[in-house]
Amino acid sequence: MATLELSHLFVRYRQDAAINAVHDANFSLSPGESLGIVGESGSGKSTLAMTVMGLLEAKTTVTGSIRLDGTELTTMTERQRDGYRWRRIAIAFQNSLDVLNPVMTVGAQIAEAITRHMALDRESADERARQLFNMVGLEAKWLQAYPHELSGGMRQKALIAMSLSCKPEILIADEPTMALDSESKAEIIDLLKRLQSERGFSMIAISHELQVVSALTSRILVMYTGNVVEVGPTRAVLEDPLHPYTRGLTYASPSIHPFRDMWGIPGEIVITEETQCPFYSRCTQRIPACLHQHPALETIRPDRQVACLRGGIVTLLTGVALNKTYRTAGGAIRACDQCDIAIRAGEVVALIGQSGSGKTTLAQMLCGITRPDTGTAVFDGRTILGNSETRRTGGVQMVFQDPLSATNEALSIEQIVREPLDILRSDTMAQRTAKVRSALQQVQLPHDDLFLRRKGHTLSGGQRQRVAIARALVMEPRLMIADEISSMLDPSTAANILRLLKGLQNLLGFSMLYITHDIALARKIADTAYVMHKGRLVEHGPASRVLTSPNSEEAKRLLRKLGLDSSYGR
Amino acid sequence: MTRRSRDSRAQGGRYLLVLVVMLAINFFLPRLMPGDPFLYLSVEDGTVSVVFSQQQIDHYKAYYGLDKPLHVQFGGYLLGLLRGDLGYSIYYNTSVTEMIFTRLPWTLFIVISSLVVSSVVGTALGAISAWHRDGMLDRILYAVMIVLSEIPSFLLGVLFLFIFAAQLKWFPLSGGRTVFATYGSVGTALGDILHHATLPVATLAVSRVGGFYLLSRNSMLTVITKDYIRTARAKGIGRRAVIIRHALKNALPPVVARIFMSLGGLFGGAVLVENVFAYPGVGRLMREAVGNRDYVLLQGIFLTITVMVLLMNWLADIVYRKLDPRVAR
Amino acid sequence: MNTRTFHTCAFLEKFSTYGKIGIAIIIILICLAGYSLFAGNDMHMIPSGESLERPSIAHWLGTDDLGIDILAQIGHGATVSMSVGFASAILAGVGGSVIGIFAGYFGGTADKIVTALCDIMSAIPQLPLMIVLGAFFGSSTANIIMVIAMISWVGPARTARAKVLSMRNETFIVAAHSYGAGFAHLAYRHLIPGIMPIMLVSVIRIVSHAIVAEAGLSFLGLGDPLSKSWGVILNRSLNFPGIYFTDFWKWWILSPLVALMLLVVAIAFIGRDVERIVDTKR
Repeated sequence: MATLELSHLFVRYRQDAAINAVHDANFSLSPGESLGIVGESGSGKSTLAMTVMGLLEAKTTVTGSIRLDGTELTTMTERQRDGYRWRRIAIAFQNSLDVLNPVMTVGAQIAEAITRHMALDRESADERARQLFNMVGLEAKWLQAYPHELSGGMRQKALIAMSLSCKPEILIADEPTMALDSESKAEIIDLLKRLQSERGFSMIAISHELQVVSALTSRILVMYTGNVVEVGPTRAVLEDPLHPYTRGLTYASPSIHPFRDMWGIPGEIVITEETQCPFYSRCTQRIPACLHQHPALETIRPDRQVACLRGGIVTLLTGVALNKTYRTAGGAIRACDQCDIAIRAGEVVALIGQSGSGKTTLAQMLCGITRPDTGTAVFDGRTILGNSETRRTGGVQMVFQDPLSATNEALSIEQIVREPLDILRSDTMAQRTAKVRSALQQVQLPHDDLFLRRKGHTLSGGQRQRVAIARALVMEPRLMIADEISSMLDPSTAANILRLLKGLQNLLGFSMLYITHDIALARKIADTAYVMHKGRLVEHGPASRVLTSPNSEEAKRLLRKLGLDSSYGR
Repeated sequence: MTRRSRDSRAQGGRYLLVLVVMLAINFFLPRLMPGDPFLYLSVEDGTVSVVFSQQQIDHYKAYYGLDKPLHVQFGGYLLGLLRGDLGYSIYYNTSVTEMIFTRLPWTLFIVISSLVVSSVVGTALGAISAWHRDGMLDRILYAVMIVLSEIPSFLLGVLFLFIFAAQLKWFPLSGGRTVFATYGSVGTALGDILHHATLPVATLAVSRVGGFYLLSRNSMLTVITKDYIRTARAKGIGRRAVIIRHALKNALPPVVARIFMSLGGLFGGAVLVENVFAYPGVGRLMREAVGNRDYVLLQGIFLTITVMVLLMNWLADIVYRKLDPRVAR
Repeated sequence: MNTRTFHTCAFLEKFSTYGKIGIAIIIILICLAGYSLFAGNDMHMIPSGESLERPSIAHWLGTDDLGIDILAQIGHGATVSMSVGFASAILAGVGGSVIGIFAGYFGGTADKIVTALCDIMSAIPQLPLMIVLGAFFGSSTANIIMVIAMISWVGPARTARAKVLSMRNETFIVAAHSYGAGFAHLAYRHLIPGIMPIMLVSVIRIVSHAIVAEAGLSFLGLGDPLSKSWGVILNRSLNFPGIYFTDFWKWWILSPLVALMLLVVAIAFIGRDVERIVDTKR
């Protein structure tokens, strides 16, 4: 069995020569290993596969090296390549109507590879083709069929049978479940897993479907516009992605976050030159330097590599050992007991707990409204001292529970929303008004002069909550803390506000700490969840796990109870 | 299966319909002519002018049976055709069928040989061009072929005639074989016939080769971007197998169909080219018929050519179905 | 004026090298035809030199057996050949489009009849049919144009029908229907403008075919002896006794021959480019 090694591989198509189709790919595939490559369409996954097979069009330039057991493949002639193709590296192509020659029977197309590479006569080749069909679970009679007579699932099996016909050491499976129904999909995945364990070939599985790759592979490579942006063990990468793009992919995949609403990665691919970070246009944590440097893949944890100038998804806010005790006549209440919390860029964190569990206290300490007794909260590298982060743009903003008291109903809407800017005195008055209008637009409120002049008390609760969000938005926050913002609204208005806020979060890329006692709601929007009980954070982790199968007893009990609570509430 | 039989039945019906319409045109055309066709006179430069004698006119009228009712006339016409009777030429004083069949071999000979030459050469060059797309060879071939494909055959024939026959004297100026020649052996006879046929065949072949080239190149270019070619290459079965077994097999059906379909145009071209080289085929006969106002002969030739073209189109359908399993089943 | 020049340039730029060559050739031929039309000296009919003079300064392309200047004849022949070409093409184009639009729009029996007719017409070998029709109807220029048009309408009819069929399902047609639009409005507003571009390609092709067909008919002695199209000139020169054994062919035969070839190739080049430009799908 063989080892495949790619190093400093660049592929460039002739015409759009400004951008590489594959940019500096480095990885290796050891014997028996299975490696997944994921990415949106156009990410370069198929180009990479074609480069390994040597099947690119003539007008592409390939630099760097691809070595199979130390033998360089890129410099080979076509004739030499033919000795490696199928015999040592084979590919099960992406399923399409055209993938098999329409004027030859399926059997003949399998047999021709066998006779070419295995020194068998036609008869033994046919016999072997029958065995192969049997192996993938197709009846032998289909060998005499023409490709257009097979169904999509059968064609996929035939392609797999064909790819394994010459006992290759490496199998590339390009979108092996493309355009199949879920049942055939599962069948193909099982088939590939079984065949790999029986025959011991190493496999590269290419797919844009994360669940396929996660079912088939142990290691994963994430590609974006030709760049490998993240590499690591499949399970770890999908559960705890380090690159914002990987995270975006997992968010867009319902199979990985089954309860959460799907949100695609916003923005379009815009790359102007090779020297910028390719993900810049869609990144939630970009800094000016990202526009001037192409990040290389770097190991930041054992076995985890990411290509990001900021070292992967940054942690925006950390709270370490936060304590808060309220002393009342009745005695001391430990509202927060040694709380550790971390919120990363572009992430929605749900903080869940019963009323009185200390959620609001923790939130207020994190934004500086309440001063912790001991412990520190750090935002973007700066310790939070009082209103140090809430009074700046690009800092932390809070939206409060009670919309009626959060805004001064005697002021005009313009005055309410403009207030933080007036205090900041950063722009001209005209610029501030413009920001007010665009913020109102973002929260889907009218933004004409008439509306701007209306007083706050003329608005409904839901509208006032929107105004409050708009007031937070004008400060362009990077972290939004939303404290039970929907609990005082009727269900329909609450749903609208929540969708609005989540939409804004996805579009603008800020992080959000969402405080709630409603577990069903948290499942819909949260990426990470913290569970709080009697002032202590009893459990935290990916929302998909914590909110469905928690580990700690308190959390389980709490979730059971809250589950009842929320079903009563609705 | 039912679809196939319905398809082929529809096809058959279409050909039958064409045939019926053809016969009707042939039958009614002389009867629709403005004025009296037999008194129609034309004097032209260089062609024989003909004045019909009363005897000839009577003969025509009797032949067409103009005094009988129309359906009787048509019935008689059809019955005659079934017996292979295309009528009687007064000018030549022989049966039209007989005249056409003495001339037909000459025409078929140059049509088929030029078809073979042009389709083989055109297809091969087209395939080669496609595999070397945008290379020097492809660009030169494409430029030459695109011009050749547009030049009408008889103009090319005149050019060839004056360059290779009149000026360079490599080939005879006219005819299908040397007049009054007595051949010592079959070999010399064959040589003489080939010598005479070279220019007409070359003319027709050159004027057709561009069309086949462009079609074959185009077809090949479409095929080589298909996924199955990539699949075949991936299997490492070698370049030759990829080209022959996978690319050609898919690129050829439209080309082959066109080879048969192009017979109609080729016959039309042959009619003119035969006259350029005074070649003794049906085309030459057709001009003689026009010159002599021998309408019976003219119609007989027209019918013969049409039936042959229809047969070839039908054959093209059959061959196409054989070549492409997607159409066949 | 400036913007117009700019537009012309932008339009020209869409043409390939082949297309530009084609346009240049057409412009030269049109100038030649224009000169012979407006010079008004009947140079193409009246002898102006010795019989069968070689090309010289006085007679650029020499003279024919009657001493008539060949360049003048080519110039005059250009008007004849091109008018035959354009007239038959426009006749066939307009006629074919009308038939195609009706068939495509109304469908049903009308459509079946038109489709069957098209099938029949395209199965019959064109040139022999043209010879038969030409022989029966006689060889005036008007008849030749009619005969060519009668044979060439099939292409435009098919294209128009296909385009109208595909346009009938477009939402803007459905919408126009819902506003109460009748056939006249639809044809004027949507259908005719819709088929115009492809019809242009079709008509350009027919121009070329028609010129060749006219030359072919003339060559067979079925040309209009009163007109002096290139085909008739060629036919006359080919029938000159002794043409094969002298050098006369080098100017007398080659002139109309090359003129015909140039025109046909030029039109084909332009047609190819127009087809590419009109095809908005690419």
